[in-house]
Amino acid sequence: MPDRPLQRICYVEDDEDIQRIVRMSLERIGKMTVELVSDPLVAVPAITAFKPDLVMLDWMMPGMDGPTLFRKMKQLPEVSALPVVFITAKATQRDMDELIALGAAGAISKPFSPKDLPEQLRAIWAKLP
Amino acid sequence: MTNLANGIESAERGAAAAITADIRDRADPALVRADRVEQLYSQLPLAMVSTIVVGVIASMELHEGRLIELVLFWGGLLALVVVLHALLYMGYRTDAKRHENTAQWLRWLGIGAFAAGATWGFAAAVFFPSHADERQVFLAFLLAGVLSGGIPMYAASWPIFAAYAAAIALPFTYVLATFGNRLFAEIALLIPLFYGVSVAIAFRLNGVFVSGYRLRHAYQRQLVELQEARRQIEASGRKLALFAERSPIAVLELDAQGTIHEMNHAAELLFGYAAAELIGQSARRLVKPKYHPDFERDWGQLMKTRTPLAGVKVRNPRRDGIDVVCEWTVTPLVNADAQLLAVIAQGRDITAQLEAERMKKEFTSTLSHELRTPLTSIIGSLQLINAGVLGEVPKDVTELTEVAERNGQRLLDLINDILDIEKIESGKLTLNPEPIRLDELVREAMLLNKGFGDRFKVRFQPRGELSAEQVTGDHKRLLQVMTNLLSNAAKFSPEGEVVEISTEPAAGGVRVAVHDRGPGIPEAFRARMFGRFSQADSTTSRQKGGTGLGLAICKRLVEMMHGHIGFQDRDGGGTTFWFDLPRHA
Repeated sequence: MPDRPLQRICYVEDDEDIQRIVRMSLERIGKMTVELVSDPLVAVPAITAFKPDLVMLDWMMPGMDGPTLFRKMKQLPEVSALPVVFITAKATQRDMDELIALGAAGAISKPFSPKDLPEQLRAIWAKLP
Repeated sequence: MTNLANGIESAERGAAAAITADIRDRADPALVRADRVEQLYSQLPLAMVSTIVVGVIASMELHEGRLIELVLFWGGLLALVVVLHALLYMGYRTDAKRHENTAQWLRWLGIGAFAAGATWGFAAAVFFPSHADERQVFLAFLLAGVLSGGIPMYAASWPIFAAYAAAIALPFTYVLATFGNRLFAEIALLIPLFYGVSVAIAFRLNGVFVSGYRLRHAYQRQLVELQEARRQIEASGRKLALFAERSPIAVLELDAQGTIHEMNHAAELLFGYAAAELIGQSARRLVKPKYHPDFERDWGQLMKTRTPLAGVKVRNPRRDGIDVVCEWTVTPLVNADAQLLAVIAQGRDITAQLEAERMKKEFTSTLSHELRTPLTSIIGSLQLINAGVLGEVPKDVTELTEVAERNGQRLLDLINDILDIEKIESGKLTLNPEPIRLDELVREAMLLNKGFGDRFKVRFQPRGELSAEQVTGDHKRLLQVMTNLLSNAAKFSPEGEVVEISTEPAAGGVRVAVHDRGPGIPEAFRARMFGRFSQADSTTSRQKGGTGLGLAICKRLVEMMHGHIGFQDRDGGGTTFWFDLPRHA
């Protein structure tokens, strides 16, 4: 378990409505700081600049999907160590297992409950080494 | 004669005897007897003519001695016998049922034969003592002649011959024995021996005749059966040919090398070739060249194992160059001597089916994503409002946002249930079986559904001690089953009631049961309980939620975990829903 509480979240998601809900949930209920990135193609510099504790990735996005972005992040030293949680409406159990094997910290399925989202992220955070 | 008899004997001892005997046993005895009687009667005209000729010569020869009246009396007697035989013969010939009344006709013939023999015996007894040496020789020769002539005549029935010959030989022997001459006395001793040998020969001949007739009838029967069998084989052959020809699936007959020997109309349509173009060609022509190594490997394996293959998917090129994906059933036809007669390949074009499956999968996936994404925003927004994140909201607004959230959730449940059913029925749902403690499962499910119970003012409570036994199942999916049963129980129980959950041993495993105090299941609805979109009262789903798919999913999930699900009326009102699962081994 990391020695500091989960505070800074970067969320890569193309759907603005969901962005708004996640921001509200994490900021108002979870009292966290949230950075939203709409375009996965510029995600890496944004993440590097924001220095989050944890990155949340949507699965299906135009331009580049979540898993591809995740694999790309794994190859870049500045972001490769960051814990990544997928938020997805589509992935099968096998897809999830594969990503967990590649080092993803967790997966939350859509539709998630904004009421419980901060708790879910904290639970994943607590299990990290 | 002896040779023939020996021949028959050795034949009977021979290797073929077993088969022959078997075949002979199949002959109908009534038909064999009818044949024998027919044979006996067919000899009568010749016998009558011979009797007349011999009788006339004998009368002329004998009357030159004395006692002309006696010769005339004897001649008249013989003539009477001939006339009676003629009548007998005509009677037999005109009897339409002569082949059925064989016993009667055989009896009459026996009487006739005895009468004929007795007439000749009379001649021996009366004329032999009264004539001189030359005539005695003539008479002895005559009697030996008519006696031995009876052998072929009555060969088809040795007892008739025995009666006929006895009627001749007995008086003659008596006369010789009492004549007082030593030579004649010695001859008298020889006559029984001669009689015995003749009857033995007749007996043997009788055997040959019977055997022959039995063979004839057995083979006739065999022939009829063979013709019938051939007719049936031809009929089934025609039927099979018709099946293949009119079959909507492609049928190819191949040899061991994979050369096409026959193909049906559906195969012509499928590949766009006329049968004449492909017959004599290798089936490899219907396989894309880049798959030829695979084809050779599979074909070699098939020739080695000779085990039928089913569900073999092959991409086949058509004449117009377009590929079709076909599913083949390949069956090697092997005879009793393990020789390969042919290979029958039956193929079905599944291109359209695969495309439909792909489209369905794509649709399901789209449904899953495209419907869930907006629902995430809808339910999420409402949840945030209802959770008070935005501060105090007027009561009227909260009432409506709660209605909206609840119905959004219902829509989501429906989508999830439809996706679940689709996944289960297409065999795409995989379970992760693990050992699960029953008491832990029940407590977790109760906790998970507490909120739902509160909404309907129903309390969940274990009945007695919960079992700590383990079952094998998928944890997430078992919770889904429990959630379904608990939420149903909560929905249908009156406010303030308690829903009890019990565990108990069951046949072949353990049972988890949920007991409610609901209105019970209407009789008419019981059979459809676990069907899709099943709700006894459609107003319930509007009032209390539920998709009507829950129990259908539960049934399939429990069965995938090798269990059973069911329900029964509860004493004192209400229903008990239960599922049994095998214990963890």
